[in-house]
Amino acid sequence: MNRRTFLLGAPGLAACGSARRPRLNVYNWSAYVAPDTIPSFEAEFGVRVRYATYESNEEMLAKVLTGNSGWDVVVPTHNRLEPMSAYGLLAPLRHDWLPHLANLAPQFQAPAWDPQLRWGVPYMWSATGIVYNRSIMPPLTRWADLWDVRLKGRLTMLDDPEDMLGACLKKLGLPFNTTSPQDLRRAEHEALVQKPLLRAYLNAEVRDQLVAGDVLAAQLWSTTAQQAIDSAAQLAFAYPAEGFPLYCDCAVVLRESRRQRLAHQFLDYLLRAPVSAAVAQYTSTATANGAAQSLLPATVRDNPTLYPPPQIIRRGEWPRTNPPAVQRLIDRIWTEIKAASV
Amino acid sequence: MKRWRCPRANKLGIYAVAFFAFLHLPLLTLAIFSFNSSRFTVWNHFSLVWYRAIFSDPQLLEGAWNSTVIALISTALSTLIGTLCAYALWKRGSRLVTGALYLSLVTPEIVTGISLLALFQWSFRWLGLQLGMYTVILAHVAFSLAYVVIVVSARLRTVSPALEEAAMDLGATEWEAFVHVMLPALVPGIVAAALLALTVSFDDYVITSMVAGVDSQTLPMVFYAMARRGASPVINAISALITAFFGVLIVVSERISSRDPAGDLLRQ
Amino acid sequence: MKLRSWFLVPAWFWLAALFAAPFAIILSYSFLSRGVYGGIELPWTWESYTRLFDPLYLGIFLHSAILAAGATLLCLLLAFPAALFISRTRRHKYLYLQLVMLPFWTSFLVRTYAWLFLLRDTGLINTALQAVGITHSPLPLLYNNGAVLLGLVYGYLPFMVLPIYATLERLDPTLLEAAADLGARPWAALFRVVVPLSRPGIAAGCILVFIPCLGAYLTPDLLGGGRIVLVGNLVQNQFTTSRDWPFGSAVSLVLMALVTLALWRYLRRQGEILV
Repeated sequence: MNRRTFLLGAPGLAACGSARRPRLNVYNWSAYVAPDTIPSFEAEFGVRVRYATYESNEEMLAKVLTGNSGWDVVVPTHNRLEPMSAYGLLAPLRHDWLPHLANLAPQFQAPAWDPQLRWGVPYMWSATGIVYNRSIMPPLTRWADLWDVRLKGRLTMLDDPEDMLGACLKKLGLPFNTTSPQDLRRAEHEALVQKPLLRAYLNAEVRDQLVAGDVLAAQLWSTTAQQAIDSAAQLAFAYPAEGFPLYCDCAVVLRESRRQRLAHQFLDYLLRAPVSAAVAQYTSTATANGAAQSLLPATVRDNPTLYPPPQIIRRGEWPRTNPPAVQRLIDRIWTEIKAASV
Repeated sequence: MKRWRCPRANKLGIYAVAFFAFLHLPLLTLAIFSFNSSRFTVWNHFSLVWYRAIFSDPQLLEGAWNSTVIALISTALSTLIGTLCAYALWKRGSRLVTGALYLSLVTPEIVTGISLLALFQWSFRWLGLQLGMYTVILAHVAFSLAYVVIVVSARLRTVSPALEEAAMDLGATEWEAFVHVMLPALVPGIVAAALLALTVSFDDYVITSMVAGVDSQTLPMVFYAMARRGASPVINAISALITAFFGVLIVVSERISSRDPAGDLLRQ
Repeated sequence: MKLRSWFLVPAWFWLAALFAAPFAIILSYSFLSRGVYGGIELPWTWESYTRLFDPLYLGIFLHSAILAAGATLLCLLLAFPAALFISRTRRHKYLYLQLVMLPFWTSFLVRTYAWLFLLRDTGLINTALQAVGITHSPLPLLYNNGAVLLGLVYGYLPFMVLPIYATLERLDPTLLEAAADLGARPWAALFRVVVPLSRPGIAAGCILVFIPCLGAYLTPDLLGGGRIVLVGNLVQNQFTTSRDWPFGSAVSLVLMALVTLALWRYLRRQGEILV
C-alpha cells in the first residue's frame, strides 16, 4: 500500500472498516434526504455512499466545473442543466436503467427545460416567495410589500442575484427572464431603494432568525420557509401576487463518473415512490414524484406552502438560463447593489 | 539611579484585566452555552445533548478525522522541508527563496487558494487525477512552509556557528555534524514550528475549501457549512471542544519545548 | 556546501511547483477571456485589467483598505498597553503570553462565530441589555461595518500583541533609566522612548494585521450579512457566483501587487535579517 492509496483510503477505512465495496459520491443540497435514505441504499446495493452537501448551485458548480471533481451524482437546479450539458459536464441519462421514471408527476415528465429528460431527473421543486410573521398587519401578499418602511431592519432578502433581482423585476411588472438592460437597471434601482430597509442578504441562515422572531419578513424558498413554519406557528408563507419563480432541482449523473451504472441505480432508487415520499415528508419539501405524492398523508399533500393549488402555480415562472451578456450585466448589477453604502 | 516605572502601573493592570476579558469572554460564553439544554440564549438547564449530537453526526466525525490526517501529514512534510531549508539558508542566504517565502506569507489567503486551485485543475486535466486529500495536503504544505522556516531560523540565530565548526574539526562529516550537533540544538524551534504548522493547518478554511475534493471535507468546512445554515448549539459545542483541544495542546507543548512558541515566531 | 544544496532541493521544489507555477497560471488566466458558461477561453486580452478602473471596483478596494486600516489601528491601540503590561510583569509572564495565544490557537472560524452568537438580536448582549432594562428592543449589532470591524479586530489582535511584546521585551532597561535620570516623566518616557524604540514590533504587528484584513473574506461574509463587499468577497464571487475567472485572477493579482508594493522596503529589510 503506497502512501497515496493510504491517504485516499484512510478516511473510508476509519469510517466503515471496508473500503472494498464500490463507492458512490453524491453531492446534494443540505437537508435533502431522510436519515435512512442513504443507509438503506447502501444496504440494498452493497455499496458505500459518500454524501456531502452544498448550499448553493455556485458552490457545487465551482467544484464540478473542473471535470475531475470526483463526484458522481449532483443535484443542480433546472436552469443550470443547459450550461452544464453545454460544458460537457453531464452524462446523458439512460432511460433503460431508470424504470421508475414513470413515477414522475405529469408536469415533470416533459418539462420545458429538458423535454426528453435527457440530462436530469426532477427531484424536488420549490418556489421563491415571502415568509412573514403573522403579527404584521395586513398580511404580506405582494413583493411590493417588502418595500414597506415598517419592516426596516427586520427584513431580509436572498443572497442570490437571480432571486433578488427577480423580485424587483416582478414588483415592476416585468418578466423574470428579461434580457433587456433597461429592465435590469430599473430592477437595480428598486434594489437600491430597498437596501436601507434590509437587515441583510441571507439564505438558509435566516430560518433561525425567523423562528426566533429577529426577522419579521424574508424572501425565501418555499421549502426552507416550510421548515421554519414547522418550528414556529406564527410564521406564514405567501406566493406573491405579481408572480414568482419556480425551481426544480434535478438529479444528474456527471460525465466524469466512473460508476455510471451505480449512479443510475441511485437515481432510480430516489425515484421509487416510498423513498421519495419519505424524503419529502422528512425534509418538508415538494417532491416531483407523482406516485410519492399520493403516498403522503393528506395534511402534507394539501399543504398550501409546499403544494399550492393550480391557480397559484399559474402565476409562477420557470427561470431560463441567461445568455452570457445578460449574466454578466446581472453580475455587475449585483456587485453594485451589494457594494452600495447605505 | 531611579527605576523607570511604567505610567500608572495599576491602571495598566486594570486595563490588562479588561483586555483579557475581551479576548476570552466570547469564547467562554460560547463554551458555557454549549451546555445549555435550550437552543436559545436563555439558560435552561445543564445538558450534554449538543455534545451527543456531535458524536452522532457522521459528517462532523469524518471532517474531524480528515482534518487530523491532513494536519499531521502536512505538518510532518512542512516541518521537514522547512527545517532543512532554514538550515541551508543559515549556511548561506538565497534571496530568491527568502523572498518567495515572505511573499507567500503576505499573500492574502483567498489569492493563495485560488492560485492553487488553478494549478491543480490545470495540471490534473492532463493527468486525469481528482482533487482530494493530497491536494489539500500539498496546499497546506504550501502555506505553512514559511511559518516553519521563520520559526526555525529564529532558533538558528541563537546557535553559534562555532558549534558546528568544532564538531567538524573533531572529524565529523557535514552530515554528522548536522544530525548530532545542529538538530539537537534546534529541537525547541522545530517543535514550536511543527506546532504552529499544525495549528494553521487545522484552522484553515479559505484555502482548503478551494482545493478540497470528494474525500477531504475538513472540520472547518463542515463547521462553516453549519454556521451558514444558522446558529446552532451544536456549533457552540464543537467550538468548545476545539478550544479545549488546543488548550491541552498548548500545555503539552509547553512541557515539551519549555519555551514560548510565540516568542520564536515573532522574535523577528 | 554540498549538504546545503541538497537541503534546499525540497524548498526549490516548493518554490517552483507550489509558488511560481500557480502564480504563473493565475497571471495567464488574467489575460484570457471569460468562457460562455465560466472557465477561460482565448483570445488574450487586457480587458480584465481595464475593467478594474471603474469607480465600483475602486470603491470596493477603498472600502477594504479603510476597514483594514481601521482594524489595524484599533488593534494597535488595544494591543500596545497589553504588550507593555506583559513585558513589565515579572511573574506569570508566559502564562499571560499563552493567554494571548489561546484564542489564536483556536479556529478563526470559531472566533468569528462567537461574535455571531453574541451580537444576534436574540444573542447574549441583546438579551442581557433587555433583561437589565437598558433597551427595550434589540439593537441592530450584526450585519454592519461595525460588526465586521469588531470581527477583524478580535480575529487578528494576537498578531499585534506578540511582535510588540517581543520588541518591548528586548528593550534595554538602562535607556529608560537614563530617561528617568534626565528627568523625563513616565508618560514622556513612554512616548519619547518606549514607543519609538518599539517601532519594529509595531511595524511587524501592523503588517501581520493589515494584510489578512485587506484580503478578509470570511468575516465580512459571516458578520456582514452580504451587505458588505470587500476585495476578498469580490475575488471569491468571481470564482463562484459570477464564474469570471479572468477578472477574479486580475483582482487577485492587483491585490497582491498592492500588498507587495506597500511592503517592499519592509520585506527587503526582513529578507536581510532572515538571511
